Amino acid sequence: MNYLGIKPVRPRVAIFGFTGCEGCQLQLANGEEDLAEFLSAMRIARFRELSSADEEAYDIALVEGAVTRGDEEERLLEIRDRARVLVALGSCACYGGVPRLKNCFDPVEMNHEVYGCHPRESLPTRSLREIVTVDQEIPGCPVAKVEVERIIQHLIWGLPYRFPAYPVCLECKQRYILCRFEQGELCLGPLTRGGCLATCPRGGLGCWGCRGPAAEPNYGEFIAIARQRGFTLREIKERLSFFGGLEVTP
Amino acid sequence: MSAPFLHPFDITREEPLCAPLDYNLKSQLKDVDRCFKGEITAAARLTRDVKLFHVRLVAPEERQRFSFHPGQFVMVELPGFGEVPISICGAQQGFIELCIREAGNVTAMIHRAGIGAKVGIRGPFGTYFPMERMKGHRILLIAGGLGMAPLRAPIMHVTENRSDYGEVRLLYGSTEPGQLLFDYQYEQWRRVDGITISLIVDHPDAAWRGAVGTVTKLLEEITFPLDDSYAIVCGPPVMFKFVCSELSSMGMPRDRMFVSLERRMQCGMGKCCRCNVGSTYVCMDGPVFDFWTVMNLKEAI
Amino acid sequence: MLFRILDKQEFHSLVDLMLESTEVIGPKKIGGAVDGRPIHQYLPLFNFHELDLEYETTEIPAKSYFLPYLENLSTWRFTDDDWSQEIAYRLHPRVILGLHACDINALLKLDKVMTREFFPNPYYISRRKNSFIIGVDHHPCRGGFCRSLGTDTVERGFDLFLTDLGDRYFVAIDSERGFTMLHLVTVRQVTQRDTDDYLAARQEIASGFGPTLELKQLPRVLDLQFDSEVWRRWGAKCLSCGSCAAVCPTCYCYGVSESVAMDFTRGAKVKQLYSCNLPDFAQVAGGHDFRPERETRLRYRYYHQHRGFLEQYDEPKCVGCGRCGRSCLAGINPPEVIGDLLAAEESS
Repeated sequence: MNYLGIKPVRPRVAIFGFTGCEGCQLQLANGEEDLAEFLSAMRIARFRELSSADEEAYDIALVEGAVTRGDEEERLLEIRDRARVLVALGSCACYGGVPRLKNCFDPVEMNHEVYGCHPRESLPTRSLREIVTVDQEIPGCPVAKVEVERIIQHLIWGLPYRFPAYPVCLECKQRYILCRFEQGELCLGPLTRGGCLATCPRGGLGCWGCRGPAAEPNYGEFIAIARQRGFTLREIKERLSFFGGLEVTP
Repeated sequence: MSAPFLHPFDITREEPLCAPLDYNLKSQLKDVDRCFKGEITAAARLTRDVKLFHVRLVAPEERQRFSFHPGQFVMVELPGFGEVPISICGAQQGFIELCIREAGNVTAMIHRAGIGAKVGIRGPFGTYFPMERMKGHRILLIAGGLGMAPLRAPIMHVTENRSDYGEVRLLYGSTEPGQLLFDYQYEQWRRVDGITISLIVDHPDAAWRGAVGTVTKLLEEITFPLDDSYAIVCGPPVMFKFVCSELSSMGMPRDRMFVSLERRMQCGMGKCCRCNVGSTYVCMDGPVFDFWTVMNLKEAI
Repeated sequence: MLFRILDKQEFHSLVDLMLESTEVIGPKKIGGAVDGRPIHQYLPLFNFHELDLEYETTEIPAKSYFLPYLENLSTWRFTDDDWSQEIAYRLHPRVILGLHACDINALLKLDKVMTREFFPNPYYISRRKNSFIIGVDHHPCRGGFCRSLGTDTVERGFDLFLTDLGDRYFVAIDSERGFTMLHLVTVRQVTQRDTDDYLAARQEIASGFGPTLELKQLPRVLDLQFDSEVWRRWGAKCLSCGSCAAVCPTCYCYGVSESVAMDFTRGAKVKQLYSCNLPDFAQVAGGHDFRPERETRLRYRYYHQHRGFLEQYDEPKCVGCGRCGRSCLAGINPPEVIGDLLAAEESS
């Protein structure tokens, strides 16, 4: 539909998955009632959850997952060459996410633990931006579909998308969700960027920081608060490093 | 389903709130978030990132009712994208002139809008320059950078009522010659309206023959006493702070200098608090303040 | 003002009657904190037993029923190159039951901003006028400092106000509809004994308050201590999370965001209650920020609460409910911050 005399554009969108659980891709296929509306804004060049299309020409590439193998790296470089806009979809693609935890262990021991006597190629986990230029990051584990929609719209319009500056705490208060700290739990809500509609605290789980930092995270005060409430520095640091999006200060 | 003693209260049917939409009267409004629909009838690029728009209100009765004072602003609504406060830089023959810099997403979209595009207008809001009080006096109009946009309305007012005012001086500083706004009008203002215009730029190009430096340097040209003059100063906070303290050292009382503050209003109606400076709503008590008031506002500059 | 006596059994019948015919919001226990303290919220009630009038305070004030955290201001319908705007106000009557004096005083302050100024806010007015408010007296709560601000009692702003006299309620009636509602059940006239019991109950409540803060000098002190290190000290602790404003019964600032559907047939203009402590609150287009540091934002909040609002409406904005202090993980709370400021002024 025309708007302000501006003709609409329907970009070709391709979706790829590397190391990760594929949950972010699935998230995009969710919400059947609005799916047709969602798809009406783009032409799908590749999205294996929804379509058998597999075209090599696309404008926007949404790449999910972290890079842990040589062939993934090659494929990513190829996608970067083809795509006008490369989007890192989900916390694994943005920060390394859960797969990054393996970087904390000895690679040989770790390979043996997982694959036993049949070791497989496994490089240290890297996020997309450690390999290629990323035009837009959409963190989240999984991503929030509403936010992906808004970001795709902004990419189509060629406008920068502004993430909420506020942390998850505001989301909780606005939804009558009890503070996880008051329930005696550790929660990264005060540091983590809002916009997730406080999905985890609403489900009774403290925040793990999948969306990266809010505009002005106060790490020092946060750690002091958490320690005062009886959490050890080790627990706090483990939580902070979980998705790889937050700073882990000593 | 509701109890017999709880009758639904329907605000749209309330008498006192049904007065006609006229934001200038700050009257009892029923639909404060309803916007007038306006059509973009002209869009001209003035500089690299500034465009001048002519917006004509679509409904004839709204067009008739629309009036503004120099210094006031309107909220320009781009449905689905957002609303931005824009100072009115003139209005004539049924259209409103808006000078818009591409600064964020909403203004970027407005810049792309074609002729005939429909936008929403709410307003005008806010205080204005006391053009009545300035009658019979000498006026200094001082602009820095994009401050020329809010200053243009008082300039137009002066040219339309030229005999009401004494000597009028326009001092305008810009970063570079290409950023000077409304340069196509200077000749007329000079020759027809008898306004003395002094221009200055920070970074001259090869063709520039005028003065080089900041706008405060132009104040050196002022040799006459200022105690009976008025000044309107528009520009970034550092600029008007400098200019105003200079003017007061030259003898102008601080309550005779007027400035326009820029804040991120989201409602224009003293509700969202986003434009608050201390307790002062820039959208209602401003955007036009005299400099004495500004000095008393914490965090204003 | 008219007063009546309502037996507790009759009160039960009255609530049942309301529940049958309309939406009823009231304090409800929803869980407990790690320290064993019960947690209450104002939530829709489904039966009388969910109502817990013995509650100390709620985490979220009743404000959200008048200024919702998220509210649709306009819906846009797009047709080729044109659009139309739709505005809808909430018109359904409801009963909000069990508000304490601080929350009703907070509504009175919001009334000043939303109904009496230029540009009365129709979204607020329609919600306010469609809410039947029943207040209730209570014993002082921990962390509250309402008595310092004179908001521990309330004379207006409700339909009915209950004071517990053991087996019965002493009811103050402040509206015609309140009077009508009350007479749907059996009430009786006030006797001398009821009045004596009421005064005794009020006396007992009043004696439960701790020492009060001396706030008379505060507006002046806020000006004089504008650059005080007190702000740096407390500001350094601020998490910039916006919780304080979210749980404040009188904070009303907001941000507006708009969105369009993926198929561009419709859009929405949505208001979200915001907080002056959030990092981008005073940012303007192009990125300039008028309050870039935590301490300046925190200071601004106190400034607005205790000086700015006072300048405009002749009373501070704060009602002393203590919710901001309780919800702040960093422990920033008005009695201590104000105490530090007053001390700084005294020692300077």
